[in-house]
Amino acid sequence: MNTSEEKKRQTPLSRFMSAEGAGKGSFPPGVGEHVGEVIESSTTELIAEACHLHGAPSFGRFIRVDAEMSIIGIVFNVFTHSVEPNRRPMAYGKTEEELRLEQPQIFELLRTEFQALVIGYLDGDSPVHIVPPQPARIHSFVHLCDDEEVRRFTGTDDYLRSILGTAKLPTDELLIAALRHTLEAHENSRAYLVRMGKELSRLLRDDYDRLSSMIRRIAQ
Amino acid sequence: MKAKGRRDARLGVITRGSLVEGLEMKLDPSENIEDMKAGKFVVIEGDKHDFFSMVTDMRLEATNQEVLLHPPEREDELLRQVLSGTSTYNIVSLRPMLMMPKDPASQDLEGPRPVKAIPSHFSMVQEAIEDDVAKIFGREGDDEGRFFSIGSPLDMETPVCVDMVRFAERSNGIFGKTGTGKSFLTRLVLCGLIHFDRAVNLIFDMHNEYGFKAMKETAGANATFVKGLKQLFGSRVAIFSLDPDSTRARGVQPDYEVYISYDQITVEDIAPLQDELKLNPTAVESAYLVYAIYKERWLRTLLNLEGPDVEEFAREIGAHPGSLVALHRKLKRLEAFPFMVSKLDDGDVVDRIMEYLDRGINVVLEFGQQTSMLCYLLVANIIARRIHEMYVKKSERFYATQKPEDQPRQLMISIEEAHKFLNPSAAKQTIFGTIAREMRKYYVSLLIVDQRPSSIDDEVLSQIGTRITALLNDEKDIQAVLTGVSGTEGLRSVLASLDSKQQALVIGHAVPMPVVIKTREYGPDFYREMGCLDDMSEEERRKKVEADAVALFGDS
Repeated sequence: MNTSEEKKRQTPLSRFMSAEGAGKGSFPPGVGEHVGEVIESSTTELIAEACHLHGAPSFGRFIRVDAEMSIIGIVFNVFTHSVEPNRRPMAYGKTEEELRLEQPQIFELLRTEFQALVIGYLDGDSPVHIVPPQPARIHSFVHLCDDEEVRRFTGTDDYLRSILGTAKLPTDELLIAALRHTLEAHENSRAYLVRMGKELSRLLRDDYDRLSSMIRRIAQ
Repeated sequence: MKAKGRRDARLGVITRGSLVEGLEMKLDPSENIEDMKAGKFVVIEGDKHDFFSMVTDMRLEATNQEVLLHPPEREDELLRQVLSGTSTYNIVSLRPMLMMPKDPASQDLEGPRPVKAIPSHFSMVQEAIEDDVAKIFGREGDDEGRFFSIGSPLDMETPVCVDMVRFAERSNGIFGKTGTGKSFLTRLVLCGLIHFDRAVNLIFDMHNEYGFKAMKETAGANATFVKGLKQLFGSRVAIFSLDPDSTRARGVQPDYEVYISYDQITVEDIAPLQDELKLNPTAVESAYLVYAIYKERWLRTLLNLEGPDVEEFAREIGAHPGSLVALHRKLKRLEAFPFMVSKLDDGDVVDRIMEYLDRGINVVLEFGQQTSMLCYLLVANIIARRIHEMYVKKSERFYATQKPEDQPRQLMISIEEAHKFLNPSAAKQTIFGTIAREMRKYYVSLLIVDQRPSSIDDEVLSQIGTRITALLNDEKDIQAVLTGVSGTEGLRSVLASLDSKQQALVIGHAVPMPVVIKTREYGPDFYREMGCLDDMSEEERRKKVEADAVALFGDS
């Protein structure tokens, strides 16, 4: 097991995940530790602007929107674009470092935003795997879920079903990413992985090809 | 009676099935299919009843053909774990044997009953616990002394008991290929009968295995010996020997030396030997002709003739000369047996056996080196026939007087190589066929020990009460053993998959349901439980004797 864990640490994604995890604060996180702010919201999805350029939570991470009933979502899309819709960034042919020295203003004109799929909410401390009655409010802060929250929310397979039930997403990729993050929160428990794998098999209606490819990629 | 819910080894849930074909259980993914052995004893917990069942078959299933076409790679352990129980799963076939109400009150009223219902979907299947086994099979050491443990279910330590009262009531069979432990099973059962005094036994011990010391077949060269009945039960067992020299050579003094006079042999005793002696049918008819004139002296008269005189003799009595010559020639073989004498000095052996049996002493008849089938058939026939006659008379007297003291003791006659007596042609001629069919009407039953049950007459087989069967491979033998047993489909596979040692399937009258057992260890512990003091320490022995004395004479 040790060797495979070591290997895992070397993969780009795991490195990213651990860096992100290290940046996390105490729970409940203070205002300063939010990672974004809701700028568009609907019952099933929300868009938030990241606090920093390129500072969005990574694909597949669980986020929480502070509210009376905190909304839980999974990041399924991250995009960076110009503040002004009519101005597209241009290629300068320079490294980012050089650009920051020569033209720092252009970075001020860029924004990173991320989209999250709403998969439920917290009623007090208990997870509810139902779409919240009201969408997240605009300008609410978005936080990363800590391991404890992720664990609590992913004890059952309902989140997998929520992801699979959404048509327009890159479902498989999202499932893989979400499961990898979840697994991390569950301390890489093999038993948990097998259990979720079994649920996936059921949810995928026995699509063996799809299942085997996903399982392989989750375990990488 | 303890409450339900104490069983805590869940194996799976019932998914489909029928009363006729048995039930199917989906095995829980956490369980290993390799633990589900044919013959295992499980309990299905229905809403109102517990169904005691036996595992009869297992099957690997997949929901998706894709999985089977592209199985996970060998190193892909995770995928295999994920698939197990979902896309690939295991089905275990169960045969419900008995049902028992869950409600303790009705449990006491009704006890286990034959299965007339099936449990609903998703009823939980649990591994049986000790209490279940005891509830069904009884416990050894009950007040009546009915139950005798002959082993334990597979993977369990609880004793499975045979109801010795019911066992003694009917003829029974012990079957199995050679080397599968038939003799041990037989010895075990005989010990049970003697220990609980449920029947007095007459044992035709062809291979000298039961009376005194027998060799235990072990792997490798270290043969060990186990105690025989005489050693265990002392004066309650008498050894009769046809070959006293051989018996003595093995270090035992026979209680009685058996001689048979020519006058004791009737034509009926010769008739079953047709095969062995290669007699043709007219030979028996000729024998009857001789008998018609000379009565019980017929054989002596015939054998006293010299070769050339036989033809003349035939003409005198009006028999076919060729046939009588052949009969004469072949019967001459009998003269070679050392136990054949023209005159008995010491009284009739059958009277002596009866005397012993009447006193409740079990008789082991050893054949010593006289192991030819001819000798065995002849002697067993002569003795059994006359014992049977006497028992018929005794029974009739009892029917007439109806006095309890006239009631004959239940007698069980053990015969080995039983198919020689009970094959379809012999069964009609030998007395054993009659005993097997007439059953307990005359208080005589058989303990048939055989390795080739398919050669035994169907009519006899169907009358067998309890069958204890070690491994059999031949399809015909398996078929034969299951003759007259209902719901046998599942048992077939169980029977063919028994271990070749120390495992047996018990079916029939003396057990409430068929069960596969690991045979009870026939060793020092067993000797002690049978009351044998030899291996006890001085201290233990004294305690036991004192306890027995108190039991006999009271505290004072």
